[in-house]
Amino acid sequence: MSTTTRGPIPNGGGLMRRLNLGTAILTGVVFGFVGWYISGKLFGFGDGPDNGWGRDRVWIITMTMWAIGFMAGIGAFVGPIRWLMGRDQQFEDQMYLAGKNQGISRYFKFTTDHKVIGIQYLIITMLLFFVGGILAMLIRTDLISKNTEIFGPQTYNAVVGLHGIVMIIATIIMVTGPFGNFVVPIMIGARDMAFPRLNALSFWLIACVVPILLSAVFLGGIPTGWSAYEPLGSQAPPGMDSYLMTIIIFAISSGVAGANIITTVVKMRARGMTWNRTPIFVYGVVASVGLALPAFPTFMASQIISGVDRATGTVFYDTAAGGNDWLYTNLFWLMGHPEVYVILIPGLAAMMEYVPVFVRKPLFNFNAAVIGIAGIVGLSVMVWAHHMYMTGWAPNLNAPFMLTTELISVPTGMLFLVFVGTLWRGKVWARLPMLAIYAMLWNFIIGGITGIYLSDVPVDVALHGSMYVTAHFHYTLMGAGLVGAMGAVMYWFPKVTGRMFDEKIGGWGFWISQIGFNVTFMGMFAVGLAGQPRRVSAYSSLFAHGNFISTMGAYTIFIGMLIFLAAIIHSWTSGEKATANPWGAKTLEWQVPTPVPLENFEVLPIITSDPYGYGVPEKINEPQLEPVHAGDHR
Amino acid sequence: MSDSVDTQPATSKFRAWIKRPYIRHVFLIWLAVTILIELFGPVQAHLMGAPASESMKAIEDTISLFTYAAAPVAALVISVVIYSIFGWRQAKSAGPSDESPAIRTNGPATTAWVLVSSILCVFLLIWGLGEMNSLAPKASSAKPIVIDAIGNQWAWNFKYPGSGNIESHELVMPKDQPIIFHVTSVDVIHSLWIVQLGVKIDANPFRVTLAHVTPTRIGRFSVRCAELCGLYHAHMQTDAVVLSPDDFNKWVANGGRS
Repeated sequence: MSTTTRGPIPNGGGLMRRLNLGTAILTGVVFGFVGWYISGKLFGFGDGPDNGWGRDRVWIITMTMWAIGFMAGIGAFVGPIRWLMGRDQQFEDQMYLAGKNQGISRYFKFTTDHKVIGIQYLIITMLLFFVGGILAMLIRTDLISKNTEIFGPQTYNAVVGLHGIVMIIATIIMVTGPFGNFVVPIMIGARDMAFPRLNALSFWLIACVVPILLSAVFLGGIPTGWSAYEPLGSQAPPGMDSYLMTIIIFAISSGVAGANIITTVVKMRARGMTWNRTPIFVYGVVASVGLALPAFPTFMASQIISGVDRATGTVFYDTAAGGNDWLYTNLFWLMGHPEVYVILIPGLAAMMEYVPVFVRKPLFNFNAAVIGIAGIVGLSVMVWAHHMYMTGWAPNLNAPFMLTTELISVPTGMLFLVFVGTLWRGKVWARLPMLAIYAMLWNFIIGGITGIYLSDVPVDVALHGSMYVTAHFHYTLMGAGLVGAMGAVMYWFPKVTGRMFDEKIGGWGFWISQIGFNVTFMGMFAVGLAGQPRRVSAYSSLFAHGNFISTMGAYTIFIGMLIFLAAIIHSWTSGEKATANPWGAKTLEWQVPTPVPLENFEVLPIITSDPYGYGVPEKINEPQLEPVHAGDHR
Repeated sequence: MSDSVDTQPATSKFRAWIKRPYIRHVFLIWLAVTILIELFGPVQAHLMGAPASESMKAIEDTISLFTYAAAPVAALVISVVIYSIFGWRQAKSAGPSDESPAIRTNGPATTAWVLVSSILCVFLLIWGLGEMNSLAPKASSAKPIVIDAIGNQWAWNFKYPGSGNIESHELVMPKDQPIIFHVTSVDVIHSLWIVQLGVKIDANPFRVTLAHVTPTRIGRFSVRCAELCGLYHAHMQTDAVVLSPDDFNKWVANGGRS
């Protein structure tokens, strides 16, 4: 080792080298227990005299202590503490943190290598989808017929709420987490993220949050739906404390990740990678995390206020006592609508990234793709009150919010144009990731058009709060967003795992889940139109057929998803070995070896064209600007 | 544009373009898909049931109209998808093609697309505004009946302050008479939803929100809660009964018993 010029391995660092997921859980549990015991002694374990606030205090303190203990135990504070003590990390420490020569164990540590973090995100996303999927099956089973009651309404409401928030978190991180981390730095020609330790921090905060979120199951659940409207939320059991702590910590995580990814992309693109040569997926990821940056703090604020109300008896949301429950609704939807685009955009961008690879054509109208994404981002912060047409909060604002909402159809249409234009006359290489684009377009056009109905104020009178809305947002977030993420998994699988994705098993799983998906949510559109409210544990016999069909469709989705999961596991462990660039793609991540070496590039690349120079130039009918070295055309 | 190559007039270029086989195929698929999607207009209106008020009729008409307007656009996307699958797809074994045309962009197509979607968007907006305007309460001849709708966990209560403060768990209304709802809640947020009459407004605790409707059909309809309100949210429902004005007066005279 050529460490002599840097002096001996600095004193200490021994503790840092001994921390991992095990120590994190240990310290988390110890801290949590101490917090629970002391606060319980102070405030009473739920039988205190102070109107039950004690109970919420105890749980909020317990969860906070768990989070501090867990983050300490994983090593999140090692960096700042050593800096404070004047023993900042040396090169060897940083190589150690990056997971050098540590094999599989680096996945269970505070590892800073962006590729490790990407895979960590991928695993935790799949875990969350599994939990959320099981919960969805419980919901649909309870609704299989009018009289089925596999559990009472309390449990039903708790399952609905948990399904919602688990899936929301899973879908928010499903593309920007795994692929924003694994792929984006390589794609832009960087050796790692701008702030590798913040990157690890953002992941481990999510790992720390998952047990908090799932603890709701043991604390009475989240029986309010994931929107947790006030004052219903204030009636809810301490499961709400799990919810609000989850949101607060998750918002920190996404803020840290967003700042990190944006800085990386702005500052660390390879020489020559002008904005016109930056791949569209990078735009999608930046748009997503950039939109989350202003959006999630309002969610965090809403939950801090909610926690203060619960634990100390303030009345921010209590209209009767002089507060305002519409404050919550506004804060919630200020996050809530941008959030759907935080979910949707990166999935679409991943597909825009690889559609040229499989049709072997340039991305159609790159500028329209960028403008479309930017337009959606810009408008999405101005539409939140379309969720509140029927609240009575501000009826006079319904028309302006209808305007902003309907305007979104224009930039969204531009994204459709990019897909349609790229497909146009392209000789399609029909691999499974490519076919997933067809499924996405089908689902997204349905989700998009039903969204237009809902944007119309009078129509929303009939449809707001009905199953129609549930079907609509599943078509967009699951049909387009999740399908985009599944496409991304299949497309980048060879680079991430070093093996080819099994398209036979995976194809069965994918198409079964797609058929199930359309059956489920078509049924749900029908019962929604006929008047079935959302989030109901029982329904009129009018809706029996539609619900039965939906439940059968849901089981089909589950079977399909299990097969898809099996394909992932099978391919990951024993799939065919992949070459460095099995798709013949032109973006940078395919130009580095597989498995990708620790710092990605031996020599940083210099970029001379955009990555979409596929196909043969046309003589006629095409306004070719210049001779056709890709990239020179701008 | 290179002026040396295409000296032919635009019309003949267009004629040559539409003669390409894939243009004809995509056009035919588009036509078929458009017609198929148009059918969903009436299907959706049918699923919503026969309207029992002008507002509900307007809502159903709007859904149909939006479907008619959106169908050609959706069909364009879907027809290209279909032709891409069946017309342009290569055998999987063929591997990646090196014969796709390097089309980077197309000015007229982009302009047309953005223009059409903008026009549709403006149309939606104007239609929506017109609809909101026509459904707004008018200072009409008939004096409206005021009904207080009070949500509590988990039942609706209706009071008739103008008719001797009758209280009822069923929402009883006369036909063809404008009605104004004063909606509130005593605990959490509920949402008053009179399904077939196209009425929905949140019942907020300690606030009063307004909604209005004129029933146009005698019959028994559904009142539900459209905002999750706790344990028995699903069961927070009752009937809306629209009576002839005479029957309604009898009902009032009987003090709310029929």
